[in-house]
Amino acid sequence: MTSPVAAAPLTPTRAPAQTSVIAQTWALSVRSIQSLLRQPSLVIPSLIFPLFFAALGTSSFSRAIELPGFPAVDSYLDFALAGAIVQGILFGSTTGATALATDIENGFFDRLLASPSTRTGIIVGRMAGGMAYGAFQTLFFVLVLLPFGLTIKGGVGGVIGLMVSGTILALAIGALMSAMALITGSSEAVQGAFPLLFIALFFSSAFFPRETMSGIYGTLADLNPVSHLVEGMRDLVIEGVSASALARAILVPGVLAVISIAVSLRALRHRLGAS
Amino acid sequence: MVESALPIVADGLQRHFGSGDDIVKAVDGVDLQIQPGEIFGFLGPNGAGKSTTVRMLTTLLRPTGGTGRVAGFDIVTEADSVRRNIGVALQDAAIDPLMTGNELLRLQAVLYGFPKAQHHQRAGELLERVGLTAAGDRRVGTYSGGMRRRLDLALSLIHEPSVLFLDEPTTGLDPMSRISLWEEIRRLNNDGTTVLLTTQYLEEADQLAERIAIIDHGVIVRKGRPTELKAEVGSPTLFVTVDESSHQIATGLLAKFGDLRPSPEGSLGVGLHEGPSAVSNVVRELDDAGITVGNLELREPSLDDVFAEATGYRLEGAES
Repeated sequence: MTSPVAAAPLTPTRAPAQTSVIAQTWALSVRSIQSLLRQPSLVIPSLIFPLFFAALGTSSFSRAIELPGFPAVDSYLDFALAGAIVQGILFGSTTGATALATDIENGFFDRLLASPSTRTGIIVGRMAGGMAYGAFQTLFFVLVLLPFGLTIKGGVGGVIGLMVSGTILALAIGALMSAMALITGSSEAVQGAFPLLFIALFFSSAFFPRETMSGIYGTLADLNPVSHLVEGMRDLVIEGVSASALARAILVPGVLAVISIAVSLRALRHRLGAS
Repeated sequence: MVESALPIVADGLQRHFGSGDDIVKAVDGVDLQIQPGEIFGFLGPNGAGKSTTVRMLTTLLRPTGGTGRVAGFDIVTEADSVRRNIGVALQDAAIDPLMTGNELLRLQAVLYGFPKAQHHQRAGELLERVGLTAAGDRRVGTYSGGMRRRLDLALSLIHEPSVLFLDEPTTGLDPMSRISLWEEIRRLNNDGTTVLLTTQYLEEADQLAERIAIIDHGVIVRKGRPTELKAEVGSPTLFVTVDESSHQIATGLLAKFGDLRPSPEGSLGVGLHEGPSAVSNVVRELDDAGITVGNLELREPSLDDVFAEATGYRLEGAES
């Protein structure tokens, strides 16, 4: 039996250095961005496909903007930007969560857990990396499309609004997919869930305004939070900065983020306790 | 020595998964008292509960019963203090293949709270220690299995832990890499580090461990010094090769000296109850009966015999 004698640490090891949560979280964020950048095969699709969709849409749907119900825009490109950003971030955030699942699979996650780093720091580090990448993606799409006739009515303020929205969305989707990674511990499962996100994107107003939709498609798009998010971002582009645009662009992903962070922390606790 | 000051203590440690009829008792009441400065070998077949025990002792898994103390701290209520004092190298060298050795060591230094000024130096020293200085700036994905294990070991040493857990550190390594890792483990141990080592290789336990425990179906079935455990298995086995035609007579004669034991094709095996001194009598008896002895081999009980007797299995890499 364990004796009641006060337990003294065995060796007079150096007094445990104070671990700085901020330094740890920062180092883990840097690592998650580094490892993303070192896998071009994962990064490139999340940057290229949305541009491809936007380009395809702009060349094919150039006359669609004359349809009744279509907002007044100079070019379909202005309309398509918000959808492209959301699409890119759905891609990019899934990549980050897949990397977490890979860490769990190959055991690196255990190495992190066996160190005195804080539990949340490990997850927040991952998320912070994903958020930085989301902000970068947003800026990247804006900068690449500007020479092709993109006009942002919201100006610099609008771009900042888009970046904030994109960053929070990256957090929300990253946390949601990380919860998936923590629950299943399988990178295949995370990648397998990705089409669900894509369905959510297609059943939204990402590519066409809700005003042009009817029937079940229209109903689904009305209910889909992605519609409201995309429309908020789009208003920043085609109408300018307004309270209602900002509210939708930021509150929708904000609420999603709160829910998915709660789910992923729960999943983390479960993994630590019961796995 | 008071038990609470031992580097590793487990008291009825238990981990069950599931419940009701589906309950899996992965670890079912393990007691361990590991002495300071000891290398303790934890042996068992796959799925016997070795890794589950290590995961509990390293705070990665909560026990469902019993208690454990590592480096003087409770593994559940003082998990953070345990983590600060232990080094852990888990199965399969868990390392991110996209990072370089140097980057991983520096990340590890951050996680263990070293000030930034020390990261570079610390990483450099550890790379040198495990002979990876030249490969430090290469991505781990390009490393060989042996190099990954050495890096894994270096990572677990960043904070000079007093207690080191190595979960199957040499599984899958070639013999040369294995020997070089053994040397490193011995060196660490000479510097005073207590090591708990799980292994599937009996030779590894025999080479390194002062004491071993054999776990099977979640329960420790043998515990002690390898030499004592071997002696417990009992008498040495004598293998005799004789003509096919005289097998029957020879078998009868051998049975007088002890119990007949399984033997390789073409030879006969007997456990000598009186020990090695009986060999000359065996030879004389056979000679008197006119049987020519082709080959004679006396084998002391090995750890493999201990293991086989305790678990009913023979492990990979066993001598016989």
